[in-house]
Amino acid sequence: MTDSNDRMDAAAPGGEAIPGRRGAFTALGAATLGAAAFAGMAATAERAAAQAPRESLLRTVISRGRLIVGTGSTNAPWHFEDDRGQLSGMDIAMARILAAGLFDDPAKVEFVRQDPAQRIPNINTGRVDIVIQFMTMNPQRAQLVAFSRPYYAEGVALLTSARSRFKTFAELRAAGSTARASVLQNAGADALVKDALPQAQVMQLDTQANVIQAMEAGRADTAVVDLSTVRWLVKRTPDRYIDAGHSFRSQLYGAAMRQSDPDWLNFVNAVFNVNMFGHVSEAYDAAMSDFFGIEPRRRTPGFPPI
Amino acid sequence: MIAAMVYALPFLWQGFVLTLAVSGLVVAGSLVIGLLLGTALAFGPRWLGLPIRVFADTARAIPLIVLIFTVYYGLPALGLSLSPFWAAVAALTLFKTGHVIEIVRGAIGSIHPGQMEAAKTIGLTFANRLRYVIFPQAVRRFLPPWINAVTDSVKGSALVSLVGVVDLMMAIQQVIGRTFEPMPLYILGAAIYIAVNATLSIASRRLEARFAATVAA
Repeated sequence: MTDSNDRMDAAAPGGEAIPGRRGAFTALGAATLGAAAFAGMAATAERAAAQAPRESLLRTVISRGRLIVGTGSTNAPWHFEDDRGQLSGMDIAMARILAAGLFDDPAKVEFVRQDPAQRIPNINTGRVDIVIQFMTMNPQRAQLVAFSRPYYAEGVALLTSARSRFKTFAELRAAGSTARASVLQNAGADALVKDALPQAQVMQLDTQANVIQAMEAGRADTAVVDLSTVRWLVKRTPDRYIDAGHSFRSQLYGAAMRQSDPDWLNFVNAVFNVNMFGHVSEAYDAAMSDFFGIEPRRRTPGFPPI
Repeated sequence: MIAAMVYALPFLWQGFVLTLAVSGLVVAGSLVIGLLLGTALAFGPRWLGLPIRVFADTARAIPLIVLIFTVYYGLPALGLSLSPFWAAVAALTLFKTGHVIEIVRGAIGSIHPGQMEAAKTIGLTFANRLRYVIFPQAVRRFLPPWINAVTDSVKGSALVSLVGVVDLMMAIQQVIGRTFEPMPLYILGAAIYIAVNATLSIASRRLEARFAATVAA
């Protein structure tokens, strides 16, 4: 080391006039101004586009030739990658039903994988045509997005494990404020837990798997998850998981779209209705049976069931 | 445990490649922009230095996750719609550029002003003073903190999964979402990240040794 004189405060002398150096920095400045001007032009074009009358998303989707669906990939049995790495689940089935209604081809769907927290923002910034991602319909959300008719009525249940301190609902309830419950991060998640366990400590986590992991790792005594998940897990690994034996709060799952587009909303509802109650029910029935073990209802002619 | 890891590996490959791609783009992008802006900050006039200082401080002050969401949702409002991948790369690059600017400024600032003055007295132009006198000395001060920033980028790239980009972390979450067995997957993920960053650390130590030798000679 030749320059052992390490001085951190050694600022470069400023204000000297060397043409080459000034020129280089002026060019840099000019480039910045150019970029700013370009951004300004883009903003003007955007304003002009915003003033044009808005076409229904239904026409846009049809002329595009594929449906863009916002959903997740980390929550079985709703939306998950199967053993072949293909997206599968009830939400995926509903997306394919919609694509079949649009294009006669259930494969014409592009899935945009998103975090649950992105469901409403991605609709309102136009990144997706529709969100089908186990979305609970509630009045607060309905102020921000347009919900389709519900396609499933979910419940909430308490999952415990063979190693849990409290295994049954009675034990959890008796434990009062010493009981700790993990739950998926969500609007109203806290109130959800308090419905069943009014005094329990609530721990909100980012994915359903982490909610369950928290319970298995002993960080929580019970995982407050969907009834469908509890049934699925207990059925798959009965030696590991226990259904605490209490389910509550039926909640409706609907697809979400942008507001002020009645054509698109009506189209989605019509396709869902026809598949759930009408004559094209094979795909919906198969999904209900595969993912929840629910046998198809008989459709009887005559008075409409809905 | 091991069986669960072996089962998961094929599903993680694409995510792993994407993590490397994001990290690589971020490191390269932030290096080029950071070098330019950091040098401008060290030697440039005040009117140029001030906005760079404001940018560097802002980029470093905003939590990375906020920056990612700002770019992802903010740019479409300005008429520029980036795909989740490029939005995430842009946000991470902005963040990392803030750091690189500081590292560059610090490395240059630590070179004694006498070096610059001496180079001036023998008539070197500004560009040549940087090229032959300042940068060769500054690069040794630059490398250690920069490598630190590079490993940080690799770890920070895990946040891109929040805007739906299937990187290594998201691929891990996807397997967990199917198996509901997080522990083996988290351990496997940690092992992969450690392997990548350990490789970088070893490479950087070699690089540092090489530059030290070159300058001493």
